[in-house]
Amino acid sequence: MFVTPAAVVLGVFVVYPIVRTLWMSLHDWSLSGRNTEWVGLENYRQLVHDGRFWNAVRVTSVYTMFAVSAQLALGLALAYRLRQTTWLSSIVRSAYFFPTIAALSTMGLVWRFILDPQIGLINAWTGAVGLASPEWLRSTTWALPAVIVVGIWKNVGLTMLVIVSALQGVPPELEEAAQLDGANAWERFRHVLVPSIRPALLFVSVINTIASLQLFDLVFSMTRGGPLFRTETLVAYMYERGFRDFRFGYAAAISWVLFAVIMLVSVVQLRVFRDADVD
Amino acid sequence: MNQTNSSRIRRLLAVLVTCVFAGVAGGSYADAESSSEVVELSLLTGFTGGDRAAYESIVNRFNESHPTIQVTMDVQPWDSIGQTLPSAWGTGSGPDIATPNFDPGIVYRYVDDGLVLSLDELLGTSETQLDPAVVPQFVLDAFTVDGEMYAAPANVATLQLYYNLDLFEAAGLAGPPATSGELAEYATQLTGGDIYGISLADHETIQMWPLLIWMNGGDVMSSATCAALDSAETVEALTTWSQLVVDNGVSPVGQTGAESDTLFAAGQAAMQMNGPWAAPGYAEAGVNFAVAPIPAGADGQVTLASTVPLMISANTEHPAEAQEFLAWWNSAEAQRQFALDAGFPPSRTDLADDPEIQSNAVVAQFASALPDARLYMPGVRVASQIDNDVFVPLIESITRGSDVAESAASAAQGANDLAGCEG
Repeated sequence: MFVTPAAVVLGVFVVYPIVRTLWMSLHDWSLSGRNTEWVGLENYRQLVHDGRFWNAVRVTSVYTMFAVSAQLALGLALAYRLRQTTWLSSIVRSAYFFPTIAALSTMGLVWRFILDPQIGLINAWTGAVGLASPEWLRSTTWALPAVIVVGIWKNVGLTMLVIVSALQGVPPELEEAAQLDGANAWERFRHVLVPSIRPALLFVSVINTIASLQLFDLVFSMTRGGPLFRTETLVAYMYERGFRDFRFGYAAAISWVLFAVIMLVSVVQLRVFRDADVD
Repeated sequence: MNQTNSSRIRRLLAVLVTCVFAGVAGGSYADAESSSEVVELSLLTGFTGGDRAAYESIVNRFNESHPTIQVTMDVQPWDSIGQTLPSAWGTGSGPDIATPNFDPGIVYRYVDDGLVLSLDELLGTSETQLDPAVVPQFVLDAFTVDGEMYAAPANVATLQLYYNLDLFEAAGLAGPPATSGELAEYATQLTGGDIYGISLADHETIQMWPLLIWMNGGDVMSSATCAALDSAETVEALTTWSQLVVDNGVSPVGQTGAESDTLFAAGQAAMQMNGPWAAPGYAEAGVNFAVAPIPAGADGQVTLASTVPLMISANTEHPAEAQEFLAWWNSAEAQRQFALDAGFPPSRTDLADDPEIQSNAVVAQFASALPDARLYMPGVRVASQIDNDVFVPLIESITRGSDVAESAASAAQGANDLAGCEG
């Protein structure tokens, strides 16, 4: 009885869309959904032979791997340095957190201007000191690294903040005891602090992984997936097929593959951290 | 006495009841009359740019001159319209009239799903109709599906050559290029230092590369289903211009339309092929520019035409009024004013020699190109997909050094597969 409102909300806004998308993925779904044709697993069969889909899988995997690792490492390092609350650390924490609260699409546009090879700030600065710069977002080599760096810059503040609050919850006696036992700073960090904040690390790694696998707005505003699809993520490709080509059934099939991948990765992450806890 | 009183009471009651009924009936009648007096229409467009005020002006003047029909225009980004309009119209809601996309090829999608009204009754010679004799032929072709017209033009535009007068003077060039050969020659001559001879965009843009291909007698598609990307003329044009970009650096690589505009506005590009919408921005940026016809190609003058479809929802409760609005939008009065406000050529061919239009040099220049203007991939149902999946990647590849003939052959195969070419 008490769970009914929550169950209704969950059913209407989560379960129904998931099931409906599965149903769409089994059809050749028209623009408005009026004329649809049952095609069974044909959309999934086409996906297997779609080079652009596999390119999107590769781009999404590379982005996720680098962005999540860097966010976790940098977030942990920053949190360790800024865990004591002083007026200076508060200002620095706010500065790191600021990009998190700004709209990703807005940040994407700003970075697009900064990285513009003709009129952008970075190339103007490097040019002023006689250094050559790459074409950044127009380069097939540098576009994805540039998007990854901006993604890390955008999200590291939240990771840092979660870990700071976890570190502040670690009883100081634990560190003091380790210090009395002769543990140096690295050993205290590695064997006392990190195990103590494992739930927070699990949380940020799962959240960051899911967000990275669903990356869209940053790519949409910075590169639209180009050049030559080098930054086209799965969600960006799904958008192209759904809202540019109006192949909603095919786009739904992509979304279901992504849904399955996110479920799988999340389960693996939870299992790995749980096993580590048992150890 | 009692009888008299009783009779009075009955008469009073009768009068009261009559008054009440008359009042109710009168009120109902008045309500019905007032609701039939003013028909309210909703219009959704994607004109978020600097020309927005000119479109709003059309709507305002229609409302002023048509007190019984009032149109309210909502303006949203094109992406938002693309995401919401199909489902809105599919479920019987949404605006009465809309511009579903800036790409005229979108008409097929909406017609296939039965979401829009046929506008055949709109065509005619009365004041509340649109005379097909004054509509540019490419517009009629773009908006006619299986013999029926489904959209009216929200605007009509052509591309012309913008050129920076200061950079031309500095390079010792007296005037704009007149032929495609001169265009290539001038682009090389004007390139140097931070200056590019021409600003070419290859994605998220009005089509510039297809125009270079047309100038050489080639094309992207030879028919509705078969590609011409591997034709000798197309490959020759792509080879010439990709070499100019790769070897001579006449244009930056991989620009969007907006980036290309910014480059010209910053005075870092000497030439650019663009539509009338760009002129106010360049003037505001302080660029000393002029507009000239696109240089003549192998088959004479050619330029790109663009037009945005205005369509009526199949669910509208006021189809006659909606059609009247579309007819007025394309009337001589509205188009003359719109052309002068927005700098676009009028959507009617009979205004080409209009004295007011001729008095505005920029509008006259763009209007004069209408007879030579062609749409990009007209009649190709998967035009958008061919552009995104095949043509843009082809240009992105060859401007980064890929072999042109090989890339064009592969692209032609891709386009044929998408369009279902059986030839």
